[in-house]
Amino acid sequence: MTDDAITPSSPPPTRRRRSRAPVVRHALLIGWAAIVMFPIFWMLQTSFKDSGEWVSWPPHWLPHNPTLKNYAQIFTFDVTGVAREATEQPFNIWGSLVDSLVICTVASLIALAMGTFLAYAISRFNVGGGKFRHMVLLIRMIPPIVVAIPLLMYYAILIPYATDSLFGARISLFDTRTGVSLLYLTITLPFVIWMMLSFIDEVPYTLEHAARVMGAGRLYTLRKVVLPLVASGMVVTFLFVFILNWAEFLLALTLTHPNVSTLPVLLNKFQSASEGRLYGPQAAIGTVITIPVVVLGVLIQKHLVKGFSFGMVRR
Amino acid sequence: MTEAAATARREDEARRSARPRRRLSAWLAQERVFRWIPFILVEGTFVLVIIVPFILTIYISFLRWRANRPFEQATLSGFRNYEQVLTDAGFWAALGRTFYFAGAAVILELVIGFVLAMLVHRVVRFRRIYITVFLIPMMVVPVVAGYNFSMIYLDSGPLNQLLAPFVEPFGINPRIRWLSDPIAAQWAIILADVWQWTSLTFLIFLSGFSALPPQLINAARVMGASRRQIFFWVELPLLKPAIVIAVVIRSMEALKLFDPVVLLTFGGPGTSTQTIAYYLWEQVWQFNKFSFGAAASILLLIIFSVLIFTGIWALTRQSAASERARIQ
Amino acid sequence: MAQIVLRNLLKKFGGFTAVQGINLEIRDGEFLIMVGPSGCGKTTTLNMISGLVLPTSGQILIGDRDVTDEEPGERGLGMVFQDLALFPHMSVFDNIAFGLRVKSRPAAEIDSRVRAAAQAMHILPLLDKRPGQCSGGEAQRVALARTIVTKPSVYLMDEPLSSLDAKLRIDMRTELKHLHDELSGTFVYVTHDQAEAMTMADRIVVMNGGRIEQLGGPLDIYRRPATRFVAGFFGMPTMNFIDGEIVANGKAPEFHGPSVAAELSADLDRSLAGRRVVLGVRSEHVAAVASDTAGAMSGAVSVVEPLGDATLVFFDYGGEGRMVAKVDPDLAFAPGDDIHFRLDTGNCHLFDAESGVRLN
Repeated sequence: MTDDAITPSSPPPTRRRRSRAPVVRHALLIGWAAIVMFPIFWMLQTSFKDSGEWVSWPPHWLPHNPTLKNYAQIFTFDVTGVAREATEQPFNIWGSLVDSLVICTVASLIALAMGTFLAYAISRFNVGGGKFRHMVLLIRMIPPIVVAIPLLMYYAILIPYATDSLFGARISLFDTRTGVSLLYLTITLPFVIWMMLSFIDEVPYTLEHAARVMGAGRLYTLRKVVLPLVASGMVVTFLFVFILNWAEFLLALTLTHPNVSTLPVLLNKFQSASEGRLYGPQAAIGTVITIPVVVLGVLIQKHLVKGFSFGMVRR
Repeated sequence: MTEAAATARREDEARRSARPRRRLSAWLAQERVFRWIPFILVEGTFVLVIIVPFILTIYISFLRWRANRPFEQATLSGFRNYEQVLTDAGFWAALGRTFYFAGAAVILELVIGFVLAMLVHRVVRFRRIYITVFLIPMMVVPVVAGYNFSMIYLDSGPLNQLLAPFVEPFGINPRIRWLSDPIAAQWAIILADVWQWTSLTFLIFLSGFSALPPQLINAARVMGASRRQIFFWVELPLLKPAIVIAVVIRSMEALKLFDPVVLLTFGGPGTSTQTIAYYLWEQVWQFNKFSFGAAASILLLIIFSVLIFTGIWALTRQSAASERARIQ
Repeated sequence: MAQIVLRNLLKKFGGFTAVQGINLEIRDGEFLIMVGPSGCGKTTTLNMISGLVLPTSGQILIGDRDVTDEEPGERGLGMVFQDLALFPHMSVFDNIAFGLRVKSRPAAEIDSRVRAAAQAMHILPLLDKRPGQCSGGEAQRVALARTIVTKPSVYLMDEPLSSLDAKLRIDMRTELKHLHDELSGTFVYVTHDQAEAMTMADRIVVMNGGRIEQLGGPLDIYRRPATRFVAGFFGMPTMNFIDGEIVANGKAPEFHGPSVAAELSADLDRSLAGRRVVLGVRSEHVAAVASDTAGAMSGAVSVVEPLGDATLVFFDYGGEGRMVAKVDPDLAFAPGDDIHFRLDTGNCHLFDAESGVRLN
């Protein structure tokens, strides 16, 4: 029968599914969203719990007596500096906060400056040849532990040895902010170069040609034409690299003790406490460490999405 | 003066007064500056901060040196340290364990990320919100994530509370100490990694789904293909680049697992959750076996280099293939 | 107002020679168009005139100055780029003012000159907008305003109309020609579109493979192409080319091709007899005639394209490829019909089969 040739053998599936599918989808998605948010929520609410509620059973999902004591505790000023001793419970967040802020800001800024400079050179003059763009990211792939041990030896042994023989003074980079910043700067440079390269590539070179034909010098052109156009890219790159440095743990742990400690290292010190764990203040520290980063990350999320598309998106 | 001579004279004057020659070379000189100074700066930093330490480490790996003796007194001992590392059971166990963790975690992350991306790609409302929420774990500082999970896995933590109605009927004490059991501890770490990094695979797959050309799918529908056929014959092959990228990137990162191990289990109970990074850290910082650690670092570097180059080879082959496909 | 002279201008990129030592004199105030297929070297030549690319050897003179080593900014040029190169983060006003600001002109002067240029290009209301907010045609005019505001002596244009849609392109052609008349500057314009070259140029430079194939006015190039390449490049539809040879035949030499014969002009050089040549004849010089006309040849119609004012008839004539005749629109041809045709020998072009050089 001719009708058979026209009608499909099975009914079109879309019509039936239309009423059921979205509900199922949303249910699954909401389920995962709950899994995602739960640890963060738990940490947040623990930070407002009084010590009596920390390990109560069954656990309280919301503090029965919410308090700001934990935050007060970690933000107290400890004038004696006793808080830095490895054996004592460190209450004071200020030292680590300063360490983290200084290290991350300095390392990220210098990496941004150097990396942007090189990215411009690669984009416009193809410095380093065709493969260089991809090779740059190689450094990033090396596991930090492989770098940690060499750097420990380097900072604690070789450099003091070298400066001693050259200048007569033993300068060690171990347990210094400078040492950590230098390392952070080096390992985030590849990212800066990679990201700024994509931003600079988007600025057509003909703009610089046009400026040049109109008599502008190269510095003038960079200042007035190129930099304004990559400014937002620079901000995003800085934030991305800052977040990476802020979260870095292994290298900070291995290269600092006891004077410098970044926030992640501080959090870990709580963890290894032998007597009674202070869950409350720890949760407060965790909140301080992570919430600003999450907020920043949400702000630059559009660029993260774009950055991880790896050229799959059709232009 | 004749016309020709006058013209010639003018041209000569013009050429002599041409100070523009200096200007042009100034621009060119600037170009030289712009080309090489950043390159030297950056490469120099890499050499100073990465390469030199490595050379030092290679030297140390050939020394026989214990931490209780000063550096200057150490003696050369050939390949002994390398032998020690290669025959050390702990080293290989940790390495094997690392691959196991990474493998399990990455597979879960790929599957969950894929499903999530597929779902989010198809929903219409709240898409932005879902994407924002799903990206959050990636932005949580890993140490904090480790700490959070240690709270959740507490014997008096919410996980046990949720499971209580399921285990109490069997007479089991719901206050289970997850982290005291080797297998459970291992999975605790794997799941912590999955929680955090599924965001990344989700992101990559989402881009992949967004890049699917609707024309191809429409053409298949017009030709009568069912949903399942379209998925397996059209969409999945087109998603291959995304899959390759996700696998390579996540595998590389997962092998470096360290933060959750330190925060959750300290490598325990016993050594059951020691990843290679943790193992190495312990050897150097707890036991001060510097030469051992140096040799192990070099060996690890070699192993990882092989893996990295394999990964890069896979990635470049993939991007070359998708370039070819795009040009057509 | 300046004349431009190129002497033995050569440019190599590694092993590849983009411009093969060309010599050219561009007259003061003329509208010269460099045209050719992509890769012919026209853009490279333009970039050398502007100074963005340094020649491997040779000289460039603008006015009476040797500018070969001078910075682009010193040469007194205005340049319009293919992608317009408008600064997206600056307003239209700032875009136009850029060249003046670079030279640190006083603000009041900048203001008046920018407004005058905007007025001349009819874009005064756009001054506060960004280039992204302007349409294609408006952006085009902003780019032009940016060049005229600095009052250069030479205007260089690198395929400026190629990013516009078809209708806008034709309108802008007229505007550019008008602009040229008003400004009386020297325009050096590059394009790959032969129609643009024909309609706008005072003289045309046809380039191919880094060399100049022909230099002349539009009608000269159309009527007396110097090489086979130039003949095939200009004119729509493309000129018909028939391979064959010259046969001496008593009084007048003849062209013999596959199923085609044509009498040639009597004053053709006798020594060409026996030479293998290509006969070129434009579609408007292939006449459809009655089958009994003297010297008529026949072919089979394959495609008919009515244009309105004429009809293009594509037919097989027994040789390689097809010929096309432009015929009266009232003549009805259909695919499969027979067509009888004759070639207008006075308008036939002979080219050497190997070198492509014109023989008559």
